[in-house]
Amino acid sequence: MSVLLATEGLQMRFGGVVAVDGVSLAINEGELRCLIGPNGAGKSTFFKCLTGQYKPTAGRIFWRGRDITSLDPFAIARLGVGIKTQVPSLFDGLTALEGICLCRHSSEAEARRRAMRALERLGIAALANRRVGLLAHGQRQLVELAMVVAPEPDLIILDEPTAGMSAEETSRAADLIRELNQQHAIVVVEHDMQFIRAIARTVTVFHQGRVLMEDSAATVFADPRVRDVYLGKAVA
Amino acid sequence: MKTVIQIAVALAAALLGAWLLPRYLELFTLINATVFVSMGLLALSLGLIWGFGGILCFGQTAFFGIGGYTYAVAAINFGDTTLAVPLALLLSTAVAAALGYLMFFGRISDVYMGVITLTTTLILFKFANSTAGDEWNIGSAPLGGFNGIPGTPPLNFPFDPADQLAPDQVFVVAVICLGVCYALAKLILRTRFGRVAVAIKENELRAELLGYDVRLHKLGLFAFGGFLAGLAGVLFANCVFVSPTMFSLSYAGQVIIWVLVGGIGTLVGPVIGCMLIQALTTYAGTLSSIDPNLLLGVLFMLSVVAVPKGLLPTASNLLARLRGRGDA
Repeated sequence: MSVLLATEGLQMRFGGVVAVDGVSLAINEGELRCLIGPNGAGKSTFFKCLTGQYKPTAGRIFWRGRDITSLDPFAIARLGVGIKTQVPSLFDGLTALEGICLCRHSSEAEARRRAMRALERLGIAALANRRVGLLAHGQRQLVELAMVVAPEPDLIILDEPTAGMSAEETSRAADLIRELNQQHAIVVVEHDMQFIRAIARTVTVFHQGRVLMEDSAATVFADPRVRDVYLGKAVA
Repeated sequence: MKTVIQIAVALAAALLGAWLLPRYLELFTLINATVFVSMGLLALSLGLIWGFGGILCFGQTAFFGIGGYTYAVAAINFGDTTLAVPLALLLSTAVAAALGYLMFFGRISDVYMGVITLTTTLILFKFANSTAGDEWNIGSAPLGGFNGIPGTPPLNFPFDPADQLAPDQVFVVAVICLGVCYALAKLILRTRFGRVAVAIKENELRAELLGYDVRLHKLGLFAFGGFLAGLAGVLFANCVFVSPTMFSLSYAGQVIIWVLVGGIGTLVGPVIGCMLIQALTTYAGTLSSIDPNLLLGVLFMLSVVAVPKGLLPTASNLLARLRGRGDA
């Protein structure tokens, strides 16, 4: 299977703090990958490097073999990368449908068709004409996901998609992500272990800015080092 | 559909005003009205970029002044205003584009953007004030320092310098320009470019993550704002004359107040706010019993408290509420 997105020795330094320290990993076409780790492990910084919001201090990022390290977020999005931020980032003054119609497309009719399809796929077609600013948090998460899915990207990157969701919403989101994975490669940055257990295939564990281990979900969760990292014990 | 109706109403109002007012107003009042209209266009330019693009330009007067000065200098040198107008529009748009490029592509934050734009107009103010000597003649046009260019020629019919427009004709041109510019701004907001520009104001990060180059959209809107302000400067030069005051802090500040009082996030609001405040200022100037600045100050404070969203949004909310009650 060919590599879709890869990083090579990625490093992000803020003054004396090294938030991401030499991370190399590869995401294949169609893959569902989870990036986990405790708070402060460097997951979100790594996410922001992938999406172009941060320019890494060292290392490179490749998209289908092409170096995209210096690209701006809009250019990365145009490659076919859908990005969902941790706090829902939406157009509060618009209705859900209007907001999703703003996705890049060839024609207005096409935009509407894609937007409606995305809303239906996520089971929130009823929210189409509601003002986004007035929606509940869980609904906003879904609207943002619909916005990310509508242009039918090759890769979807989700930063803590279940943050602030109820247990029931989280379980529905897990089903949804598995379903979306049938058509898109997905990278999920998350620290909710239950959620990861529900969706995971390959898991990459971050710790102190580095990759601690990368393996199948079952192996990762059985590994004492991962438990230690989460429970705060020192890693040998 | 709503946009088409709004544009039709605005154009009809402009035509009606252009046809009716010159018949009834005295010459002095008509010239004053032309000044109001040119200022209204300046307010429209800021109302567009600030209210819809989220770009708080504190120095919209920079492009207003550049438009006016370029028109005056070119018209004096060419002896004909036909090419002076497009040149003035070109230069004010180009300066706005250049300044916008530095700010948006330099990823300057909003606060600094306010500082930079204000400083730009104040530098131009200072510069225009210090151009008194003969060494500051551009061709046959003296920049005139503090006095400006009192001999700013009025518009003439295209390629016919002998046939200059009378003040009532200048008024008609100004009103039609305002109507057409409003329509143009409204149409731009309806296009994909306009909708993305508004989306950027709502949420810059999301617009960027959807694949839009935020900087380019802001730049486009800002440059168009410069174009409108430049045209306002040309019209102003036609009814008064160009002088450093066009760049001054008091003008720069007033534009902000017009937009705030009229209603940010609307296009007609800033124009109405501008006209009302101008009329009020003129009226207050005739009062001997009270200091006009004191009166205006009190009124501004009251307007901030009573209509914080501006006149137009407050009025339309009130209307919507009354209509809702009527339906019930």
